[in-house]
Amino acid sequence: MESLLELAWVVTLLPLLSAAAIAAFGKQLPGKGSELGIAALAITWLLSIGIAWQTFSAGTPEPFERAFEWSPLGGGFIFELGMLVDGLTAMMFLLVTTVSLMVHIYSREYMKGEPRFTYFYAMLSLFTFSMLLLVIANNTLLAVVGWELVGLCSFLLIGFYWEDKSNQDAANKAFLTTKFGDVGLIVGVIVLSAGMFGTGTSTPFNIQETNAAAMAGELSTGTIVLGMLLIFLGCVSKSGQMPLHVWLPDAMAGPTPVSALIHAATMVTAGIFLLARLFPVLAQSATVMAVIAIVGVITLFFGGLLALVQDDLKKVLAYSTVSQLGYMIAAIGVGGYTASIFHLFTHGFFKALLFLGAGSLIHAVHSNNMSDMGGMRKPMPHTFWTFIIGSLALAGFPLTAGFFSKDEILIAGDLWAGQGFMTGNLVYWVGLAAAFVTTFYMARACFLVFAGENRSHHAPHESGPQMVAPLMLLAVLSIASGYLLSPFSSQEFNFENWTATPFVEDATYPFIDAEASGGGVLAAGGQSIMAAADGEFTILHGVPTWHFDLLAIVLVVFAAAVFLAYRFYGKGLPERDPTLNMGAATTVLVNKYGFDAFGYRYIVVPVRDTLAKWATWSSNVVIDGMVAGAGRATKNAAFATYRVLDQRVIDGGVNGAAFSAAWWSDRLKRIQSGDVQRYAGALVAGTIVLVLAIAAVR
Amino acid sequence: MSLIGPLLLATFLFCVGVYGLIARRNAVLVLISVELMLVSVNINLVAFQNLLFPGAEAVHGQMFALFIIAVAAAEAGVGLAIIFNLFRNRATVNVDDVDLMRW
Repeated sequence: MESLLELAWVVTLLPLLSAAAIAAFGKQLPGKGSELGIAALAITWLLSIGIAWQTFSAGTPEPFERAFEWSPLGGGFIFELGMLVDGLTAMMFLLVTTVSLMVHIYSREYMKGEPRFTYFYAMLSLFTFSMLLLVIANNTLLAVVGWELVGLCSFLLIGFYWEDKSNQDAANKAFLTTKFGDVGLIVGVIVLSAGMFGTGTSTPFNIQETNAAAMAGELSTGTIVLGMLLIFLGCVSKSGQMPLHVWLPDAMAGPTPVSALIHAATMVTAGIFLLARLFPVLAQSATVMAVIAIVGVITLFFGGLLALVQDDLKKVLAYSTVSQLGYMIAAIGVGGYTASIFHLFTHGFFKALLFLGAGSLIHAVHSNNMSDMGGMRKPMPHTFWTFIIGSLALAGFPLTAGFFSKDEILIAGDLWAGQGFMTGNLVYWVGLAAAFVTTFYMARACFLVFAGENRSHHAPHESGPQMVAPLMLLAVLSIASGYLLSPFSSQEFNFENWTATPFVEDATYPFIDAEASGGGVLAAGGQSIMAAADGEFTILHGVPTWHFDLLAIVLVVFAAAVFLAYRFYGKGLPERDPTLNMGAATTVLVNKYGFDAFGYRYIVVPVRDTLAKWATWSSNVVIDGMVAGAGRATKNAAFATYRVLDQRVIDGGVNGAAFSAAWWSDRLKRIQSGDVQRYAGALVAGTIVLVLAIAAVR
Repeated sequence: MSLIGPLLLATFLFCVGVYGLIARRNAVLVLISVELMLVSVNINLVAFQNLLFPGAEAVHGQMFALFIIAVAAAEAGVGLAIIFNLFRNRATVNVDDVDLMRW
């Protein structure tokens, strides 16, 4: 059954094809192009399931790589256009195509009657293609292409309602902020590939080769630290880590299905995906891992706090996304490879569910604000229970997907701490504290939306089946996906076995002195890496066991947070919202720690008022002057050539020939008098002349 | 036998023919002048035959003269036909008026 993996490229290219088809003749179709997108996504979804089945059924799979090679520069330097299918790819395929398919179906009803409906579907498909291109890429260069395409689609979809200036601003902000990180990413990729080229390979961008070289110690420490930190800068901006998270809440300006697809479930996970892809490289450096862990910890806590004071339901979810992405980044930083991508996987489902649920609510009350909702439980029962399931999963309530995946991260932090790394302790304790914050703001949101009186000016009613069905499926997945890696899952067939590539299997942490640490245990999520006394690492596969101490803490935290939220919000919107009346703390949170103001004051304003003016001047005066001068000189030279060479010499010659011919012919034609006797006379004269001439010559 | 007589006569006739061809305005007289020139050539042919081959069986000179007379008759026929047509169409036989083929 090799055949199905050979077809992996179809999964990536089919959405591109459907995007082109929708753009070309979507408007003529009865469904305005939506049926094309859904059909294409359904096929890729089925194919992804097939690929995942085939990949996962093999236990820890060998990576499957196919590439076209292109060597335009010679000198043994080869660009590749290829695909790499391993457990990580298959997992991302499943996640992206599932969420994308749900969003495609959901949008049929949600976007009904909107202007540019067809364009919207074309963009959704194009976005899906971009993300799948990033996922399938076998080299970092191709991944950068997918990465940039993802950023472009994000820009276009955030600015979907471009009639409003604020939406344009949000789109620009997202694009420029992520572009700032993208510069780091590209430089980082070049640094890594330069290091790779130094090892004598002809394909320096190849991901597998980079991983192998890094683990073999062929890359210098400087290359790894500089390259990975720069790539991490790209991940910081794309995955909404502090301090470049500022674009993500503003990105909620886009249509809600887009928020679900792009700004929660899939696109923002690109950074985590890339870090997971290059995990064996970054695991070579304690510095890199520490930086990643600290950025993640800061984000997961402070990002979560911001959600407390929001009134816009989508912004609550946006900040919770920032926070959850912080968990994933932090997990990578403490060696929790499996924990991180497992959380990515489950979070994709329940965050998509929450956003689509929020979309359903917004659709019903025509407002994003929770102060305009309230009492939605009765009129919208399906939205209610699916939203509650999503909230429970996000809060990490026991036996939901979020519980299993988030606990993996905390346990990874604990194990890392056991190796004497301070960052491990940080992840564990700050992660627990943030779990309390998460539970509190989700409980606040749920109470404000569903409890109390209806504060909207509309009579809300349940959304139609095309919106509710995706909610239900995602609700099931929000619980079920957690059991892929839980104490209940199979010892052989579980998430950790599937997604552990051979490189991750062999990944070592050279900065850990195994003998000094006395043969400790390191965590890669459910997978533990045992350092034996002789310095060799071996891998203990297996499913996680119950950590009843952690379970107890989680339950207490959950109960406390829900109880607190119930005290404040159980009866609907209080007169004085406690989170908005915390004095200085509220001020800080409402102002988002001053990041936006700082960025506006010290980045936007100087760039706009000073740098932009200088750039305009240099563009208008210097460059335009050079261009205009060259143009003018050319024009003058051409004019001179025209007047002298063309008009005088060439035209003079041609016209002169014509005029002289006319002048001469005008005279010569008079010989042709038509008088026969003149001809006869000329004949006689000619004869006489001829005879005399011959006689003279004789 | 002396040739001076016939040759002088032939030259005189030829010159008269050339003069008439160039100077006459009447197309019929132009045609007659052409006949005169042909006749002068015939005189030359017969004179030279008798000078070079006197009493010879083969009389090439006279034969050529006969051919030229035949051709001259045909030529006169064609020429007169042209002149008739000219007169019918233009009511003139003055060659100076016939200059349709000028520039």
